Amino acid sequence: MDFKRATADYSVKHYKLVAAVMMVFTLATASLIPLIKVDTDPENMLSPDESVRLFHNQAKAEFSLYDIVVVGIVNNKNPDGVFNPQSLSRIYELTEFARTLTWSSEKEENRQIGVVGVDILAPSTVDHIGQGGPGEIKFEWLMTRPPDTRDEAIEIRNKAMSNPLLKGTLVSEDGRAVCLYLPLTDKDLSYRIYTLLRDKIATFGGDEQYYITGLPVAEDTFGVEMFIQMAISAPLAMLVVFLLMLFFFRKLLLVVSPMIIAIVSVISTMGLLIGFGFPVHIMSSMIPIFLMPISVVDSVHILSEFFELYTREKGRDGTIKEVMGHLFTPMLYTSLTTAAGFASLALTPIPPVQVFGVFVAVGVMIAWVFTVTFVPAYVMLISEKSLENFGQAAVHVEKQSRLAKILRTTGQFTYTGAKPILAVAALITAVAVYGITRIQVNDNPVKWFSKRHPIRQADIELNKHFGGTYMAYLVLEQSPESKTNITDESEDAESLFTKPEMLEYVSKLQDYLKQSGLVGKSNSVADVVKKVHQELIDGKPENYIIPRTAPAVAQCLMQFQSSHNPDDLWHLVTYDYDKANIWLQLTSGDNQDMEKVVRTVDTFFTQNKPLVPLTYNWAGLTYINTVWQDKMVFGMLQSFLGSFLIVFIMMAVLFRSALWGLICMVPLTLTIVLIYGVIGLAGKDYDMPVAVLSALTLGMAVDFAIHFLERARVSCDRTGSWQTSAGEMFAEPARAITRNVLVIAIGFLPLLAAPLVPYKTVGVFMCVIMALSGIVTLIVLPAIIKLTEKTLFKPKQTVVSPGCNCGFCLIISAATVVLVALNLHQYWHLGLTRLTWLSIITIPVMVLVCGVMSRRQVCKNISKEGKRGVK
Amino acid sequence: MKLLTVVTIIFISSSALIAADDPNTPEKITDVNIIVSKANIMAYYQGDDGKARVKMTITDRRGQTRNREFIILRKDVEDGGDQNYYVYFLKPADVREMVFIVHKHADINRDDDRWLYLPGLDLVKRIAAGDKRTSFVGSDFLYEDVSGRNLEEDTHEFIETTEQYYVIKNIPKKPETVEFGYFTVAIDRCNFVPMKMEFYDRNSKLYRVIESQKVETIQGFPTVVKSLVSDLNTGSKTEMEFSGVQYNIGLGDVFTERYLRRPPDEARK
Repeated sequence: MDFKRATADYSVKHYKLVAAVMMVFTLATASLIPLIKVDTDPENMLSPDESVRLFHNQAKAEFSLYDIVVVGIVNNKNPDGVFNPQSLSRIYELTEFARTLTWSSEKEENRQIGVVGVDILAPSTVDHIGQGGPGEIKFEWLMTRPPDTRDEAIEIRNKAMSNPLLKGTLVSEDGRAVCLYLPLTDKDLSYRIYTLLRDKIATFGGDEQYYITGLPVAEDTFGVEMFIQMAISAPLAMLVVFLLMLFFFRKLLLVVSPMIIAIVSVISTMGLLIGFGFPVHIMSSMIPIFLMPISVVDSVHILSEFFELYTREKGRDGTIKEVMGHLFTPMLYTSLTTAAGFASLALTPIPPVQVFGVFVAVGVMIAWVFTVTFVPAYVMLISEKSLENFGQAAVHVEKQSRLAKILRTTGQFTYTGAKPILAVAALITAVAVYGITRIQVNDNPVKWFSKRHPIRQADIELNKHFGGTYMAYLVLEQSPESKTNITDESEDAESLFTKPEMLEYVSKLQDYLKQSGLVGKSNSVADVVKKVHQELIDGKPENYIIPRTAPAVAQCLMQFQSSHNPDDLWHLVTYDYDKANIWLQLTSGDNQDMEKVVRTVDTFFTQNKPLVPLTYNWAGLTYINTVWQDKMVFGMLQSFLGSFLIVFIMMAVLFRSALWGLICMVPLTLTIVLIYGVIGLAGKDYDMPVAVLSALTLGMAVDFAIHFLERARVSCDRTGSWQTSAGEMFAEPARAITRNVLVIAIGFLPLLAAPLVPYKTVGVFMCVIMALSGIVTLIVLPAIIKLTEKTLFKPKQTVVSPGCNCGFCLIISAATVVLVALNLHQYWHLGLTRLTWLSIITIPVMVLVCGVMSRRQVCKNISKEGKRGVK
Repeated sequence: MKLLTVVTIIFISSSALIAADDPNTPEKITDVNIIVSKANIMAYYQGDDGKARVKMTITDRRGQTRNREFIILRKDVEDGGDQNYYVYFLKPADVREMVFIVHKHADINRDDDRWLYLPGLDLVKRIAAGDKRTSFVGSDFLYEDVSGRNLEEDTHEFIETTEQYYVIKNIPKKPETVEFGYFTVAIDRCNFVPMKMEFYDRNSKLYRVIESQKVETIQGFPTVVKSLVSDLNTGSKTEMEFSGVQYNIGLGDVFTERYLRRPPDEARK
């Protein structure tokens, strides 16, 4: 491998040129960054033509539904809650203010965007339907203007509480708080509206507390705060990493180089991503967080080794050439495997995950190129003079030995105690696997905020008092296949949802959901009919029922349309009364809870036969979220398995041995199994951030394993015995790994202070991934090597073509088959059983091919030719 | 200026006026109150009574439509004073035979009397008439557009007098009782038919327009036979078309509760 020497030589010789090229490249890509387009809508985790999204949009259009910002107003000081003249006048003012939050769209002419004034739900925008004089029905605004007296305020409360459509929705169940529902034309205005509302509220005095929440606000605000947080967290992490490196290597000038590599990789990768026209999405905004540790790690290996080997006599160019000689191959292998692992995410059918995978891979390779060229060049830029007192040799003996001592002891222990170590590892793994079986997949964008965040607090507070701030819509219509029959039979067919039987059915479903305790509140056309009927008759509760004939229902609905807000009806039913929409309010936006609601509805439909066959479909952000989150979480899981296989195949090919490949996978596998196991056992939700961050293991654990194994192999080749090599391994290479673990694990701890939960998750994950993969690499790997020494280090095989090793070929083939099957499964939604059959057919075919290949004449010739060094 | 509205517009009589097609510009009237009360009389009190078949088409922002069809009967108690309406529904089919009766009172301190008959429930019900600015059967027309807004509710001032129109601004005396800030009306100088009304919200933003789209002379009376209201906030529109318009048909007193369940022949056609 002369390439590696040539690279190092060239970089050392033309160090100024190398530095200049890197500068130019970075500036060129950085200049693309201003073209940035940000897309923080998590709905875009699904492609736009995904059927759930199409139906969601169709339902929104058909029933004039909008994404809703929920503003809750609570007054705990006044005995009447907010139903006092002062609070109500502020609520009135806030409503009027919200009405003004519309603008003409910049993108489309003649389109107003912002709050949909006519559909605001507030005390001053809804009707009270009640009894006027004796025998009179009365439609009036619930609150035309803020009341002057306590009695008037109480009357408003009593009227609102008397309307089942408003109770639990507009006014809290206890009659003390009020919620405004502000529908938005576009949910990406949520943060803007949220900010304006908060500014307005800040001008109010008074005892009220104001809470703003709802999924659109949470998602949009998260998008905004995520970027702010990125601007704080990333530099902060870099600073801590920098200080730690300074602590280890003590040479400011030298320590700057990993920082440069990290910054350059991040900037040029993001520049390329933006330059290629991809929007920066929630996923891709995570790229810097992934690239920073990965790119720092390689240069830390170099620095660490440089630090160990540097002596005055060798000089910087001599030392760096020696270092690069040791490290070039492992660094190339780690970068290639890591890049391949991430690139394989591009095979997942989730658009943002594809972009993410590809560009992390690109970034890893950029980091590699600069590490092997720029770091040597950088070393040359430092004058020999300033390296005085540098290096392990120069450090005081006692100090140097603390870390070295611990590692030496560890190394000896792994040799003598290999079997117990593996037994303990196996035991822990078993427990972790049990933990994995208990993993709960669950997510809720509101929970991406920490408990102290105003949005999260609003969520907690309002869902205590009201029917719920999470909206879902259940759309019912006659099954298409049954439709033709009906019209044939009776030409006088009445519309479906004026039939009393159908409304009773809807009502029964609502009661069923209410009893399940999963749904805080639901509103449907059946509720409207009952309320109007009650007031038409005499207002008594016993008349809160559905009348017995379809014309009676239709006439009740016609009366409802004689109110101030006739169009409210069309949120619940279509003009032709053929489709009905049940508006569900949920107090929890957790996927699991929404999924329970879906299952409950399924159960209801199987247990209760409607008059005519119905189809039902879901819309609403709460539901959409369950779909993309599920897809995302399971998609990531599958892609991750795919990457896992790719990494394995890569390592097996690089090491030309399936056994080495397998051993290389140990740190990666154990790390991920342990992390997932703990998540399962601790009952933490397996959510999107966790799913995404698992991929980081690819970058870290693989790095350590390859560095350790590649150098162990080289060392063993030289010494001929693992016992001797182990000693060597637990000197400099082990110290490099330990330094890396400490630098990254501690470096990302400041993220724990972030107000956004995914950032905390990043901090915890970095720490755990580094610690686990470090420990596994330094303890479990040597133990395995000790026990498999004979097989691992048997005299050099003469295999030139991997195809000549039958067993190797087989394992790789099988892995490839599984990999292909995984991807086919995701793309064409093939059932796993069918794929199993395909695989069962494919693998014997592969066996045959492998058998034939390994018995080729070429292979025989080669093995006869005898020993020839491969490397 | 009340006027407007459409349904009643039909009943404009014109006797004294020269027909709308007179090319000569009429004499210019400078007292705004005379104009509005003239228009009011024209719009709501022509003949002794009248009848029309009304077809309403409500078209929403997305172009979906709903229809209503009803017969409307009107009889004046006194010109410029009280009057009665009888509305008998023909469509949609499931509200057929539904009836509204309204006794409109010119006294600003007295609420109108309204009755409702729902055949599906066989129920006669009085409707409290506190607020006249509710939707008329789900259309973009309001109850007050149909029965007329009392002149005394607003103050009236000229905006301008063009070749064709008197344009008058009407400002509510009790702004808290209505959802608009003010409205303007363009009254045809020849026949005093209100041709266009524009409603502005409290921030002076135009949000609602009523236009007389087609005027025909029937039995000598200029009659709006097609009018359109557009709600600019919702994007919804309602068109009203009048057919079979007849004046002075000699209606008896059919505007009482007993006729709710038993519609008079005139209402059934």
